[in-house]
Amino acid sequence: MSHALSFEDIELGDELSESHPDVSMAAVTKFCHAAKHLFERFIDHEAARAEGFAGAIVPGIMSQGLLAAMVHRWAPGCIIKNIDTVFRGSLLVDSEIVMTGAVTDTDEAQRRIELDLTIIAEDGRTGVIGTATVEFPE
Amino acid sequence: MLLDLHTHSIKSDDGRAKVENYCKWIRKKELPLDGFVLTEHRQFDGESDYRHLEDEYDLLILKASEVETDFGHVLVFGVNEDLSASLDFSNIRLPIERVLAESDRCGAFAAPCHPGRKRVGLFSHYEERGAVDGVHTVETLNGGSIPGEDELSVEMAEQHGYLGFGGSDSHVVSRIGFCATEFPDQTITSVDGLVQALKGGAFQAVTLRGGQAGS
Repeated sequence: MSHALSFEDIELGDELSESHPDVSMAAVTKFCHAAKHLFERFIDHEAARAEGFAGAIVPGIMSQGLLAAMVHRWAPGCIIKNIDTVFRGSLLVDSEIVMTGAVTDTDEAQRRIELDLTIIAEDGRTGVIGTATVEFPE
Repeated sequence: MLLDLHTHSIKSDDGRAKVENYCKWIRKKELPLDGFVLTEHRQFDGESDYRHLEDEYDLLILKASEVETDFGHVLVFGVNEDLSASLDFSNIRLPIERVLAESDRCGAFAAPCHPGRKRVGLFSHYEERGAVDGVHTVETLNGGSIPGEDELSVEMAEQHGYLGFGGSDSHVVSRIGFCATEFPDQTITSVDGLVQALKGGAFQAVTLRGGQAGS
């Protein structure tokens, strides 16, 4: 029987399993409606191209949400104290993207860890980098 | 000696790596690096002192700069007061000839990074504007490159007779050491030593991606 990941299970250098989130037009449109974040560049390829993008792009707040969801899938019950993302390049809607994470520091006294987070675009470019501080309640 | 010549810390606006966490990661992952160079964007960090980390983790930690020119980004090793006074590091359209000439005059070493990348890479400007006098070395292996970019860098460097070095261009901790530069039979202990080693030309770019070393 598997158990929820605890602070004691985690070591510096641990890597989260790669995650391949759904950024299809249907999924992104659904997110945009739910978040009341409806802009054509996110939900219409042609409109996005007219703005100079290669196609519709995944909203930054969705990228951050996907990263947070990956952290919670890895460690259910953990508390994300902060998450900080840098958007270095566009992630295209209807493309294959890959999310990764790695433990870069641990703080035993506070039962906190620091994570690197990245999203790689389909062409191999790093679209999003970030870090998160995650706490594990006793 | 194996050094990652291209890394960024939280001192760069888009960097999210703490320098101590780089050190911890290198040791925990048993990366074969002997040290790394912090090449912060559009600035030279003259204030930070990492000697305690060098001692604690037995790593060489040097500081340099990544500046932006009209022919893409350029790494400058051996930044000193003369060079800082001569160039406005925050200018995102520095004339590359001036960066190369002033670096040379001040005893520093300047070399374009990720030259195979569109827009911010040297070679993307060569077709329209021709080759730049004074370039002798480029970063042929860059940890942030997408497929095809480093291949173009290697091919064009060979074509122009440039030497090649490697750097990870890491902005987060877990990406340090993707690429590096090997200085065979040399011991480098300072930035002056690094500049001399680069000027000496006895080095090669290596990739360490996936734990595999290769040039």
